[in-house]
Amino acid sequence: MMDTQATSLHASRTDVFRAASSLSGALPFLALFVIGVAFPLFGGGYWGVIATRACIYWVLASGLNLVVGFGGQIAIGWVALLTLGAYTTSVLVAGNVGPALPPYLALAIAAVVGAVFGLIIGLPALRLRTFYFAITTLGFATIVTQVALAWQSVTGGGVGVAGPVFPEPFSSQWGFYYFCFGLAAICTWMTANIAASRFGRALTAVRDAEVAAEASGILKSTLLGQVFLFSGAVAAVAGGLFASLQSYITPDAFTLDLSVLFFIAILIGGRGSILGPLLGTILLTVLPEFAAPLVAWSTFLYAVLLLIIVLVIPGGIAEILDFKNRRPLESGRAIVPRPDLLAPLLGAPPDAGNLILEQVALNFGGVRAIDGLDLEIRPGEVHGLIGPNGSGKTTTLNVISGYYAPKQGAIRLNGAAMPVGGLHRRAHLRIARTFQTPRIVGSASVLENVMIGGTIDGKATFVESLLSLPRHRRDEAKLRDAAMLALSVVGLERLAAVRADRLQHSELRFTEIARALMLRPAFLLLDEPAAGLSAEEIARLGALILAIAQAGTGVLVVEHHPDLIFDICHRVTVLNLGKILAAGTPAEIRAHREVVNAYLGA
Amino acid sequence: MVASIVLTGLAIGCIYALIAITYNVMFSASRVFSFTAGTLGMLGGVLGSLFILRMGMPVVAGFVLALAGGAIIGVVTEIVAVRPVLKSLEQHLYVLSTLALALMIQQYTAIEWSTEPQPFPRLFDIERGGFDQQFWLPMLACAVTIVGLELLYRRTLIGHAFLAIAEDNFAARALGLPERRLRMASFALAGIIGALAGFAGGQMLLAFFANAPMLTFYGFVPVALGGMGNNRGAVVAGLLLGLFQQAANFLVGGIFASVAVFTVFIIVLLVRPEGIAGASLTRRV
Amino acid sequence: MAITRRQALASAGAAALASALPRPAIAAKEPIPIGYLPALTGPSSSTGVGINRGIQLAVQEINAAGGIDGRQLELITRDTQSDPTKAVNGAAELTHQKVSVVFGPVNSGESLAVVPLLARANTPQVHPCWVDTLTDPKKYPMCFRNAPTNQQIGGAANRYVVEVLKKKKVAVISDTTGYGTASVNAYVPMLKGIGAEIAYQGNVDAANPDLKPELLRMQSAGAEAIMPWSVNAGFLSRIINTRGQMGWDVPIVGQTTLGSGQTKALLEKPEYWAKVYPNNFRPVCYAAGGKLSDRTNAFVDRLKSAKIDMGDTLLWWIALGYDSPRMIAEAMKNVGTEPDKIVGYLNKLKEFPGIYGDIAFTADKHDGYPDSQVVMVEANSLRDGAFNLAPGYGA
Repeated sequence: MMDTQATSLHASRTDVFRAASSLSGALPFLALFVIGVAFPLFGGGYWGVIATRACIYWVLASGLNLVVGFGGQIAIGWVALLTLGAYTTSVLVAGNVGPALPPYLALAIAAVVGAVFGLIIGLPALRLRTFYFAITTLGFATIVTQVALAWQSVTGGGVGVAGPVFPEPFSSQWGFYYFCFGLAAICTWMTANIAASRFGRALTAVRDAEVAAEASGILKSTLLGQVFLFSGAVAAVAGGLFASLQSYITPDAFTLDLSVLFFIAILIGGRGSILGPLLGTILLTVLPEFAAPLVAWSTFLYAVLLLIIVLVIPGGIAEILDFKNRRPLESGRAIVPRPDLLAPLLGAPPDAGNLILEQVALNFGGVRAIDGLDLEIRPGEVHGLIGPNGSGKTTTLNVISGYYAPKQGAIRLNGAAMPVGGLHRRAHLRIARTFQTPRIVGSASVLENVMIGGTIDGKATFVESLLSLPRHRRDEAKLRDAAMLALSVVGLERLAAVRADRLQHSELRFTEIARALMLRPAFLLLDEPAAGLSAEEIARLGALILAIAQAGTGVLVVEHHPDLIFDICHRVTVLNLGKILAAGTPAEIRAHREVVNAYLGA
Repeated sequence: MVASIVLTGLAIGCIYALIAITYNVMFSASRVFSFTAGTLGMLGGVLGSLFILRMGMPVVAGFVLALAGGAIIGVVTEIVAVRPVLKSLEQHLYVLSTLALALMIQQYTAIEWSTEPQPFPRLFDIERGGFDQQFWLPMLACAVTIVGLELLYRRTLIGHAFLAIAEDNFAARALGLPERRLRMASFALAGIIGALAGFAGGQMLLAFFANAPMLTFYGFVPVALGGMGNNRGAVVAGLLLGLFQQAANFLVGGIFASVAVFTVFIIVLLVRPEGIAGASLTRRV
Repeated sequence: MAITRRQALASAGAAALASALPRPAIAAKEPIPIGYLPALTGPSSSTGVGINRGIQLAVQEINAAGGIDGRQLELITRDTQSDPTKAVNGAAELTHQKVSVVFGPVNSGESLAVVPLLARANTPQVHPCWVDTLTDPKKYPMCFRNAPTNQQIGGAANRYVVEVLKKKKVAVISDTTGYGTASVNAYVPMLKGIGAEIAYQGNVDAANPDLKPELLRMQSAGAEAIMPWSVNAGFLSRIINTRGQMGWDVPIVGQTTLGSGQTKALLEKPEYWAKVYPNNFRPVCYAAGGKLSDRTNAFVDRLKSAKIDMGDTLLWWIALGYDSPRMIAEAMKNVGTEPDKIVGYLNKLKEFPGIYGDIAFTADKHDGYPDSQVVMVEANSLRDGAFNLAPGYGA
């Protein structure tokens, strides 16, 4: 009864929370929409061109925002897709390849071409480091321009090709403006939907806390693949519109300056935001038009703005507009977990059998990190793993959670061998973990961070989220409720809306636990969860861990605090230099002579 | 025909190799890549032309001042674009800050210096022969740099200190090495090498602001292929790149040559992301 | 919401003029806005910079003489930075400011995008770009060209190579800009039509530091003349320098920029400039006696007294810039500033005696430059921005 009261209280609190935040979030967009619709009333022909241009740039930037702002991929050369879209649309309409096609069909085909090439250009991101990927996108941008130059029979080479003219009612200047404005509004809506979906959160997780994302079951390749498809498609559509606005395109219209403009607009706007980059794009399109000398210096100014943003306000315009997170937090906050709420969160105990390591060995270069390791984690039990620094404790955890494949030995779950590699699958096996240093998305709220833990429970596809279809909204509601519950379990529900990088270290540790609990784990691996906690907090942590085990989860705790270990563990294993020094009950270990010598001290 | 391709290819390959070494020296000191490497190359040519041609200084003075200019820009890069970013948790901010700085320098040069290529002076008053100074100057510069760096790293105390902070930052600091000053010195050294590349290559590339994006890309390819931080690999890869580019120019013509270079580069990177000679990534968790 | 803007001007000569000449007190009447879209910065800016010097001088002179019926001409400049996107923005702003006429853009790539826009805005346009498709009296009835077309330019150069120099095997090379590639595409069939054989045909990236392989290819294919088409001084100078380094004795015949001061500055040896024959225009060339025509002489004297630099650019650019506002001003003096009237006047223009050339239009022909005034000259005869006619180039 207490449970249902508690959950319904939480449910209504989240309802209000949700309604309030969505209303205040939508206001700026509504204001921009109204201004945009009414624009022709007070803007002349010239400003019409600029406004249309801003809409077209935003169509591209909205997609690129998901790649760069949310996904953190430094795709500087995305102008390649603008070029592709512009040429594809123009060439198809002009009939240089096959019969002349109607402009809408050409635009749709350009979108498909853009999606495919978005994927091709973006895929190296999965293999390459940040800087390398940035350079390859620049290479692609040059390749596309060179091909446009060389393929004279189709693209007209250096002379170029006429842009498409859209039929009535979009052929007049203001008609075309409304066409572009409409597409820009749709793109804003779609990308905002993704931002507020598990895909958007997964992107920020991959960007800022990649290992945590993997542990939550997020597969970077499929996630980024879908985003590249979408971004490529909208960029190509923007290209078709661009060609129409220019009325004639040549390869030299697609300059590096333009690519840099999109990229900088997103970063000035702030990563992980929709409104910020939208304002950034409008700003950078309009700014050079206010004074002529500015036009020559425009790229210089963009670069200066970028430098200032990176050094002073990395969060960009979005951070400036984030009034919510300027409100001071209450000092002297205490973390008060509510283990009694575990039952509704975790549900029925899983019947996963035991997690067994048999003679596992792993090398790093010439060093044997772990050697001949036998370990057994049973559901309902807390198993402690202790030892001096460098003894292989974290390595053991990493092997179990799949970051490293053992050189020898086997890991079995309920008798069956665990698959090597595919570490994101551990989440599907209900193995959750926390990390030695908290891996959190600092710029997201605490609630969003916890919701990342439940990503694999979402059923809606990317397209359903894009269009905010019912299944997506059901997913979101369920995830939100579960996450609020998880936060209540760890005692942090009052900080749900706060940006995570404002939290104290101990609160971050408990946030990680809440995130891990979202998986309803059969096995929970905790890597030094007590590090940096006060004595009071350690006591509460211990009670929470015990409660989690009692709910049916098998817990492995790697720790340096022997008191905590001896208080809550059913079994303890001691490692030294990669080998097991001793294993048994806490009482046995405390008395073990070698352990005392090597580690505990008298 | 072949002789011409080989000569030009090696010469320009040496310029690319020097820019790659610039990237590597900055990387060793800070574990970040900076977009300003190619810009330094461009400045070597522009400053050389500015001091010697426009301001009429003797060649030696212009040379020294051009290198000094490179050193200054290197240090500015460290202070403005690298140091503030290293402190933050956001790993990839350095890409943006160095990109911003590089763009600022390039645009300023384009507007204040010229948007057209300007002449670069002939440095030695020798008759123009087959093996002309525009070819052997970059090669000489490259050889001097490699030998000089070897001597620096192996024989001098400061060279050892550079290696130490590159190998193990924390241990070096624990030993009391002045990390910040060493990093600034490394960036100054990188600036000098970059400016040297542009100065030695000035007669081939002219004093042109658009050399910056070109060198940024082509100077990075040897780094990627030779393994990051690996100077010997960079030189070999740079020479191969120069030869391949000139051969492609000749065989398939200008437009397709650059497509060929980019494509080969991307494919090699995808097959071996750590480069042909590089080491694999370290532990992340 | 008319915002009058004075744009910052790149040319030092113009700035000097602006401060030197006083503003007449008759400025009480409303000024006539003329739109101007030069490329003053960016990779293709050498033309724009040269033209700008002429335009500024002409506008100052017209205004000093009282303007048009007491109304001053006001040049509203938007630097396109050699970028078609900025050219479109600039053109849109000029129509917003309700200019009577637009002069420019000066680069073909930008004009291709701007011409349709100005046509939609019913704004008369005069431009000096060469790409053939940039005038179409039916599609763009308000667009006029006061310079030659690619056909005229290429025709003169091709005839010089094949018929005067009697070289049959030709190498045609350009950079990768719109202008360059369009030129090569147009000229190769023209050459074949007058009996030449194409030994080499290529588009090369202007940033390529080494053109030796290209020239070696030309040489091994037996080329007897090189015809480069580019406005990029760096590219052209590399061709000239490589020919000199190879000691290959073939004439270079082609784009006017081959003879510009910028190209000259990038040559390794002054001797390399021998046997280089760029296009140019008879009115601004030294005739047989080594003298300019009276009209041109007077113009050069005026430039010298206004301290306008000719050494690093081409005289014909300055002359073209000078003629254009004067032609427009004459139209306005005769029929007023209404767009249709101006277009009507231009359609009947029998001969506007410019320094650069005598321009004439009809309702069906909006390409105003006469064939006969396109000539070839000798690059190394450059003196005060003008050249001697090339050898063998008769009347």
